[in-house]
Amino acid sequence: MKLKIIIGSVVIAVFVIFGAISFMNSNVEYTDFAKAEKLGKKVQVKGAWLRNKESQLDTKSGQFIFYMKDDNNKEEKVILEGGKPNNFEIATSIVAKGRYKDGAFHASEILTKCPSKYEGDASAVKKTL
Amino acid sequence: MIGSIIVKIAFSASLLSAILYFLNHRRFSSRVLLFARIAYHTAVVSIILIAVSLIYILMTHQFQFSYVWNYSSTDLPGPLLFSTFYAGQEGSFTLWALYTGVIGAVLLRYSAHKGYESEFMTIFSLILTFLLLMLIIKNPFTYIWDVFPKDLIHTGAIPAGDANVVWLDRAKGLWAQYPLEGRGLNPLLQNYWMVIHPPVLFLGFTSMSIPFAYAVAGMLKRDYVSWIRVSTPWTVFGAMVLGTGIVLGGYWAYETLGWGGYWGWDPVENSSLVPWLVCVASIHTMLSQRRSGSFIKTNFVLSLLCYILVLYSTFLTRSGVLGETSVHSFAEPGMWVYWMLLLIIVVFAAIGFGLFFARRKEMPRVPVEHSFFSREFALFLGASALVFASLFVVIGTSSPIITSIWKNKLSAVDTSYYVTTVLPMGVVIALLSGIGQLLWWKNSDKKSFWRSLRLPVLLAIAVGGISYAVGARSAAMVVFIFAAAFMLCANLLVGYRVMKGNPRMAGGAIAHIGIALMFLGFVASAKYDTKETVSLEQGKAVEALGYKMTYLGYRPTERGRFAFDVEVEKGRRRFVVSPVMFSGRDNEGMIRNPDIINLLTKDFYVSPLSLDQPDGGQGTEVTLYQGKPQRIDGITVEYIGYTFSTSPEFGNVVKVNLNVTHDGKKERVVPAMHNNRGQIQFIPASLSHSGIQITLKSVRPAQEGEHNSTATVAIVDPGGKPQKKKNDVLVVEATIKPYINLVWLGVFILIGGFLITIARRREEARRDSTMSE
Repeated sequence: MKLKIIIGSVVIAVFVIFGAISFMNSNVEYTDFAKAEKLGKKVQVKGAWLRNKESQLDTKSGQFIFYMKDDNNKEEKVILEGGKPNNFEIATSIVAKGRYKDGAFHASEILTKCPSKYEGDASAVKKTL
Repeated sequence: MIGSIIVKIAFSASLLSAILYFLNHRRFSSRVLLFARIAYHTAVVSIILIAVSLIYILMTHQFQFSYVWNYSSTDLPGPLLFSTFYAGQEGSFTLWALYTGVIGAVLLRYSAHKGYESEFMTIFSLILTFLLLMLIIKNPFTYIWDVFPKDLIHTGAIPAGDANVVWLDRAKGLWAQYPLEGRGLNPLLQNYWMVIHPPVLFLGFTSMSIPFAYAVAGMLKRDYVSWIRVSTPWTVFGAMVLGTGIVLGGYWAYETLGWGGYWGWDPVENSSLVPWLVCVASIHTMLSQRRSGSFIKTNFVLSLLCYILVLYSTFLTRSGVLGETSVHSFAEPGMWVYWMLLLIIVVFAAIGFGLFFARRKEMPRVPVEHSFFSREFALFLGASALVFASLFVVIGTSSPIITSIWKNKLSAVDTSYYVTTVLPMGVVIALLSGIGQLLWWKNSDKKSFWRSLRLPVLLAIAVGGISYAVGARSAAMVVFIFAAAFMLCANLLVGYRVMKGNPRMAGGAIAHIGIALMFLGFVASAKYDTKETVSLEQGKAVEALGYKMTYLGYRPTERGRFAFDVEVEKGRRRFVVSPVMFSGRDNEGMIRNPDIINLLTKDFYVSPLSLDQPDGGQGTEVTLYQGKPQRIDGITVEYIGYTFSTSPEFGNVVKVNLNVTHDGKKERVVPAMHNNRGQIQFIPASLSHSGIQITLKSVRPAQEGEHNSTATVAIVDPGGKPQKKKNDVLVVEATIKPYINLVWLGVFILIGGFLITIARRREEARRDSTMSE
């Protein structure tokens, strides 16, 4: 019985430490482009799509390339693995997850924040009158 | 509206029923019991009326109700229109309350038969009461003019000719306008899965309240042992339904939403997985308690957690607490809902765990006698691994909350976190569910146990070896494949033996076979898929991933959607896939749906990325910025601004004002675009002195932090150089997902296993109650 408790506590301790380490390692820090360049590891950067600069889907590599500025107004070229994200055109802000490499931000994922279509949207109700 | 009144009646009746049942628990009285039953049934009838009224106002397009306006529109086909019933917060709480009410009515009879009515119904009515309180806060019958009083409520005389107005107070001259069209259902949700998936998932959520309520009832009755016999069939039922709901959601994501896979570790998905894992763990520890009497406290804790975790999930995904870290953007519901959801968790956790701590000394202590080589011990370890897996997922999903407290910044964990933490648990679970099946209760003969291991281990080594030979190079994957193969072989062996004896006992082995197949399918389809982005010029065959692909052309399907037909050939086999792309309403962006060729050993998954329509015929497309004249092919175009209007004939009309200078002559040109319920019509404008034609393609209103809007137009100059017409180019991502059918096959087998177990446990519960009578 004692042996079981000891083994049990060791196993639990191992799992807890293992979980905590994984958590710390994979917590993707929010930062800006300047810091992302310095760190070189996977981070997420919040900002806005620069609409007046070119944006295109590279049909050979399947990457969507566009320019984005972060909250400190630093501009950066972003290369996203995959096509243009859903709701990209209407997003008021976007979050790019990825790492800085060779003069561009290589994003694996883009989250789009859309203007809330919820309460208090008086202009929307006027359109449907 | 009468609906709002019925919501209040339902709430009061449900609360009354909880109180009366509790009084009856304290001191039995047949009169109190009668009134408690009447109150409960009044609540149920009221909820049915609420649901029917909500469906009625949705089906009849009564846009004077805010909910109807927010989530539906007149262009939705019947089934989708019906699905708007649970598309928003208010409606989904209505569905949840409806399920709870009706299931409660069924369980009232079941519990009465088992001598559990007062205790069970006390807590179940209380659960219902809080769901109905939610509906009082988020009332689905709120009038739209109460949401937008400034814009919609007017005083004085009603202007002639306005049909969509209603008097609020004739004496005061108060009247309100209401919309004639709704904002419609999110185009991402406009799919038949929307009709199927949420009702199943919510039934699963509702079922999780049953083990919770029986656990509390057991403690109220001071019955710490036999409550699990009453509860088990329903716990298994809940695991089955919730599991099915989760898989349906995964299949929806895979088949139409085009996320590329069936699982993305998104908070919404995770938060339904966590209670499921705990519920499955509790099924295993309950089994152990039946056999050896141990795990009494564990079973209380796990059964309580099933529902608490559903409530916590609801809080995470619906309160807006996750901020922008989730892809599923549930709209901000407001502070009231946030605090209400938090309150519900606190109340039920306090009831459940408060009672548990008060009574824990009374609970019988059963000395654990079993050895390492016993099925009980394997079950215990397996259940622990399940709980750990769910703990890892819950911590990861709560990461934005944790980091906001700790670093004052919301940030989510990367999805790789879930794989690194859950995968080892998967290995442990797979090994244990093989070993556990080969062990006997209490104590096993070590020799015969080692002997029984031989065959499954050898077979699993063979499968692991083959997978290594065909390309599985990562050690973690080979170990996982080995474990899953061992689980499969051991359970096939045990299942075969049980089937020969008593097939009704085979539920466990069958369910494990299903899980093992799913595990193998997960690895094969998600870890060893191959992808390629392909540009397909219309009519020209391109080789990709061993398949010959030819883009044939596009055709309109339904409601402004377009299917892009691609012929796929391999050897003599020929298929046509038709992925879909369309623009959502109000510039919602492009929506893309993949298409799949389902083959026996793999899926060929084609996800559309874009369609390039080169110049010529279409004209030169250019995006114009307000106040910035641009020169294109000898023409200077200045975008002045746009106007928006609605007319009954054309629907929404957008016009842009352009100053165009050509050959030194400047003139004003106004191309327009009509959007009549999704039917888009372009009205080009021509320059008066030349044949140059300008078509409006889209307008983007000014966004946050910008002053200017933009317009995209296409300019066609018939006098210009004739351009060679190039073909359209469709860009797609093609993926081969090997052995994904194992996942779906595993799901069906798992559900089969659950059904057999439910039948067996129901039979046992019935036998127990006839014995006790």
